[in-house]
Amino acid sequence: MDPGSRKTFDRSFTAVGYFSIALMAAALVVLLMPIFAKGSGAFVFRGTVENRRLMLEKFGRGDRAAIEAEKAAAAAARAPVYEAIARFEAALDTADAEDRRGYRSDFREVRELVAELLGPAPGRQTPVLIRDQYGQTRWDRASVVLHRILYVEDYDYSDATKMGVKVATPRVERFRGTALEPLFGVLERDARAMLRPRTTFYWRFLFDQSFDAHIFGGIWPELLGTFYLAVGAMLFAVPLGIVAAIYLAEYAGESAFVSMLRTCISSLAGVPSIVFGLFGLAFFINTLRVSPSKSVLAGSLTLALLILPTVIRASEEAIKSVPVAYKEAAMSLGASRWRSIVTVILPAALPGVLTSVIISMGRAAGETAPIIFTAAVSVGKPLAIWQTLSQPTPALPWNIYNLATEHEAVDEIRHVQYGMVLTLVVLVLLLNLAAIVLRARVSKKLRG
Amino acid sequence: MHARINLAEQPARPPRGGNAAAGARTLIAAREFSVFYGSKAAVDKASLDIPAGFVTAIIGPSGCGKSTFLRAINRMNDLIPGCSATGGLSLDGQEIYAPEVDVVALRKMIGMVFQKPNPFPKSIFDNVAFGPRIHGTGDRSSLGEIVERSLRRAALWDEVKDRLGDNALGLSGGQQQRLCIARAIAVNPRILLMDEPASALDPRSTARIEDLIGELRGDYTIVIVTHNMQQAARVSDMTAYFYEGRLIEFGDTGEVFTKPKEKHTEDYITGRFG
Amino acid sequence: MHEQLLMTKGARRRSRLAALFGHSVLAAVASSSIIALLFIFYFIVKDAVPFFRFEGVREFFGSVRWYPSREEAEFGALAIFIGSALVTIGASVVAVPLGVLAALCLSDILPFSVRQIVKPVIEMLAAIPSVVYGFFALVVFAPLLQSHGGSLLAAGAIVVLLPFALVGSAIAGNAAGARAPEASRRAVRVGAGLAVGALFAAGLAALAGALGRLTVGSGTNALNASIILGVMALPTVVSVSEDALVAVGRDLREGSYALGATRVETLLRVVVPAAKSGILAAVILGVMRAIGETMVVWMASGNAAKVPEPWFNLLEPVRTLTATIAGDMGEADHVYGSSRYHVLFAMALCLLAVAFVMNLLSELAVRRLRRGRT
Repeated sequence: MDPGSRKTFDRSFTAVGYFSIALMAAALVVLLMPIFAKGSGAFVFRGTVENRRLMLEKFGRGDRAAIEAEKAAAAAARAPVYEAIARFEAALDTADAEDRRGYRSDFREVRELVAELLGPAPGRQTPVLIRDQYGQTRWDRASVVLHRILYVEDYDYSDATKMGVKVATPRVERFRGTALEPLFGVLERDARAMLRPRTTFYWRFLFDQSFDAHIFGGIWPELLGTFYLAVGAMLFAVPLGIVAAIYLAEYAGESAFVSMLRTCISSLAGVPSIVFGLFGLAFFINTLRVSPSKSVLAGSLTLALLILPTVIRASEEAIKSVPVAYKEAAMSLGASRWRSIVTVILPAALPGVLTSVIISMGRAAGETAPIIFTAAVSVGKPLAIWQTLSQPTPALPWNIYNLATEHEAVDEIRHVQYGMVLTLVVLVLLLNLAAIVLRARVSKKLRG
Repeated sequence: MHARINLAEQPARPPRGGNAAAGARTLIAAREFSVFYGSKAAVDKASLDIPAGFVTAIIGPSGCGKSTFLRAINRMNDLIPGCSATGGLSLDGQEIYAPEVDVVALRKMIGMVFQKPNPFPKSIFDNVAFGPRIHGTGDRSSLGEIVERSLRRAALWDEVKDRLGDNALGLSGGQQQRLCIARAIAVNPRILLMDEPASALDPRSTARIEDLIGELRGDYTIVIVTHNMQQAARVSDMTAYFYEGRLIEFGDTGEVFTKPKEKHTEDYITGRFG
Repeated sequence: MHEQLLMTKGARRRSRLAALFGHSVLAAVASSSIIALLFIFYFIVKDAVPFFRFEGVREFFGSVRWYPSREEAEFGALAIFIGSALVTIGASVVAVPLGVLAALCLSDILPFSVRQIVKPVIEMLAAIPSVVYGFFALVVFAPLLQSHGGSLLAAGAIVVLLPFALVGSAIAGNAAGARAPEASRRAVRVGAGLAVGALFAAGLAALAGALGRLTVGSGTNALNASIILGVMALPTVVSVSEDALVAVGRDLREGSYALGATRVETLLRVVVPAAKSGILAAVILGVMRAIGETMVVWMASGNAAKVPEPWFNLLEPVRTLTATIAGDMGEADHVYGSSRYHVLFAMALCLLAVAFVMNLLSELAVRRLRRGRT
C-alpha cells in the first residue's frame, strides 16, 4: 500500500477502535438508563389516598387524623359515582330482560373497574384479598385504570394487510341516556379529588415486607435473603480460598500435583452456574441433607463453590504482589516461614484480598441459577438468623425473574420489578465501587 | 536479655584496623566454603576468619559472590530453591550448616540490613518491635524500652520519637535504612550483616550510615558487603576481596588498600577492571 | 553459646513434623477445589446415566420432538442443542469482533487518562448480574424488537457496516490517487473515493431497506438473546484480550515502530500475532460464558423447543439447554427418579463436558502464550 493509504488505514482503524469503545459505553447507558429511570419510580411516585390508607392500616404509619380527613374528602368527591351506580342498578332491576342482558356485562365491567380504581364501595363487606381492599395506590396505575373505564379498547381487523389496530371508543357511548352516563364525566373531571395524588418518597420500599404477592409493600424479605446468601457464601469461601491461596503462593512448588490443582481451580471457574445449582440440589440437599429441603445454608454452600475459584485466584495474586523484601526482612529477623506469612505478608496482602472478597460478594448477590433449586422461594417472610439453616428465602435475583415472568399481575407490578432491579444493580455497583476505591488505596499503602 | 560480647581482651572501642583486629578472637570461620546454585559455584572454596567486634568489608566486582557469601552466614540462602553449600562455615566454633542448628535461633543472633531499605508497611514502632515480639516479648512497656534503645542506637530516635505510630514508609530513604538497622538491633544480635547498605542512598545519608557503623563497632561484629572501595577503606578493619566466587585476598584494610599481596587485588583497587 | 543455637533431637523432630503437618493441612485445604470438581462430575454423571440407560442416546441427540410431560414422553433434545448453538454463535459474533477491537483500542490507542475511565466502565458491565440483563432483554428490548424490529435491524446494520464502508472508500480513493499523475492526484483521489463511497452507500441502503421491511413475530427470540448475551460476554473478551496484548511488552512494539510501521500495522502484524494465544483464550472464555448462561436465555430466547425455519433465522424463538434445565426442574423434581428428572442431568452433563473441554483448550492456549515468551 502506498503511504497515503497506510495513513488512511491507520486513522480509520483508530476511529473504528474508538467506535467500539463508544458502542460499549452506549450499551451500558442503554442498559442502565431505563433501570434507573423506572426503578426510581418504585421509590418516588405520586401516591394516592389509598396508599396512605394502606400505610396506616397495614404498617401503622401516618397521621391518623389527617388521613381520616382525606378519606372523608375523597369520599365526598366519590359520592356522585356511587350514586350513579346505585341509580343505574335500581333502574336495571326494573328494566325488561332484554335491556338487562344487554347492559349487564358492561355494567359489571364498569363496577369492577371502579372498584379497582377506588377500592371497595362504601357499605360493602371488606374483601378477602388484600389487593381488593384498596384502590389504586399509585397515580400512574390509577390513570391506566381510569383510561380503561373511560374507553373501550377494541381491535379493528378491517384492513386485511395489517395486524389488528387498536381502537379506543369512549365507553360513555354505551350508556348514553342511562343513569350511568354522568359517571364518566364525573370520573374524568374529579379523579384527582377522588384519589388525591401526592408525591411520595417511599424509601421504606427497601425495608417493608410485601403484601399479597408484591402488589403492595416493599422488598425487605428479598433484600435480607440476598444479604444472607452473599454473606453466607463469603463465610464458606473466604477462609477456604485464602488458605488455598497461601498454599499456592508460598508453599506449592511446580509439581504435577500443583499443576493439576491449578487446572482444577480454573475448571471450577468454568462450570456453568446452572450446573452448580443442580449439584447443590443433588449433593447438599439430597445427599448430605444439610437441610430438609431448600435453605439459605444450601444456597450459601452452592454459591461458595461458585465464587471459590475467584477468591483463590485473586488472593494468590494479592499475596504474590507483596514485595519479597518483606518476607526476607521478616525471616532475617528470625521469624519462621509461617510466622512471616501471618504477621507480615498476609496483613500486607489483606487489602488486595479484601477487594476480591467484596467483588465476589457482589457476584454471589447477583447469581440466580445456583439458588433456584437450593434456596430461593418466591414468597416468604424475612428470616431470623437461626432460620437460615433450614428455611428457604426470597432473594432479589430470583424474584426479579419470578415477578417479571410467572407472576399473575405482571404488568401491574412493573414498578416493583424495576425497583428490585434497581436495588440489585445499585447494590452490586456500590460493592464494586468500594472494591475499586480500596484497590487504589492498596497500592498507595504498599508503596508508601 | 542482653548478651554483650566479652571483649575483655580488647579495649572498649578498639582502635581502627591494624593488628588489633588481626589478633582478635575469630567469630566466623570459613573453611573451603562453597555455595552452589544448581551446579554453578557462586562462592568457590573461600577460607577466612572474621574477627569478633570489628568491621569486616567484602569487596569485589558485581557477581563475584560477595552477597551470596554474606547471605550464607545467616542461612538466608536456604530460601532460594536449588541453593546448596559445602565446606565449613562456623559461628564461634559451631558449624552453621549442621543439621542440629536451629535456624530461627541463628537468625536471631545475626541481624541483616539489605541493600534497598525494606521497612514493613507498619508503624515505626511496630517495625522495630517486630523482632522482639515474635521472640516472645509481649508487654508494651518492655517493647517500648527496646524500641527506644534500638532507635537511639541507630541514631534515629530524635527524628521519630514523636511519631512512632506513623507508617514507616513515609520516612526518607536514609531514615528507612536506619530504621532497618534499628529493627535488626532490637533482637540483640551479635553480628550485623550489611549488604550494600548505603548504595541506594544519597551521599549525606551514606555518610550517616557510615558514621553509624563506626559507632556500632565494638558492640557488634559487622560484616559489610560493598562495591564502593572508598567506603570499605573508610569503615572497615579487615577487608576480603572476592572475584568470580573465589577469595583472592583477605587482610587488614590498611594493608589491602596500600600494599595488596595479590596483583589481582591491586588491579581491582586501582580500577583496572570491575 | 552454642547451646542456644542447637536444637535437641526431639525438638528437631517436632519441628519437622509440625512443618510437614502444616504443609499437608494447607495442601489438603487447597485440594478442596479438586474434590469439589470431582464431586460435581460424580453427582451429575450419577443422575445422568439412568436417563441414557433407560432412554438411549439416539433420540436425545437426534430427534427434535421434545415432549417430556406427555404420557408417551419423547426426549428429543436436538432442537434444544441447536438453540444453544445458535444463541452462542450469535453472541460470539457480537462479542468477539467488538471485544478484540475494544481491547486493541484499550491497550494501544487510548490515552492513559481515558483508559482510567474506560476500564471501570468495562468492570461495571461485567459486574451487572445476569438476571438484570435478562430483565432488560424481556421488558425493554423484546417489546422494542416486536414493534420496531425491522427498523432496529436496519439501523444496526448501518451502524456496523458504515465504518467499513468509510474505510473502504478512503483506501480505494488513496489507491487510485497513487496511480494518477501528480497534477490530478487530488481530484482523482477525491473522485474515486466518492465513487466507491456511493457504491457502498447504495449497497447499504438496499440492505437497510430489505431489513427494514422485516417484521418480528415475537420479541423474545434468538436474536434478542444473542445480542444481550454478546454484551454480557464482552467484558470477559475485552479484559482477557487486553491482558494478552499488554503482556506482549514494549520491546516488540518499539522494534516495529522503529522500522517505520504505522500503529495499526504494528498492531495487526506484530502485536496481535504475538498475543494470539491469549486472544484465543479470551475468545474461548467468552464463548464459555455464553454457553453456560441461564437467566438471559431463559427470559429472552422465547423458550420454544423447535428449530427455526430456516435454521439461521434468528428472529424466531428457540430454547437452550440451560433454560430447559432451569425451567423444567421445578416440575421434574416432583417426579424424582423419572426420565424427566434424569434428562435434565443428561443436559447438565453435556454442558459440563463442553465447558470442561473448552476450559482445557483455553488453558493450553494460555500456557503456549507463556512458554512462547520465555
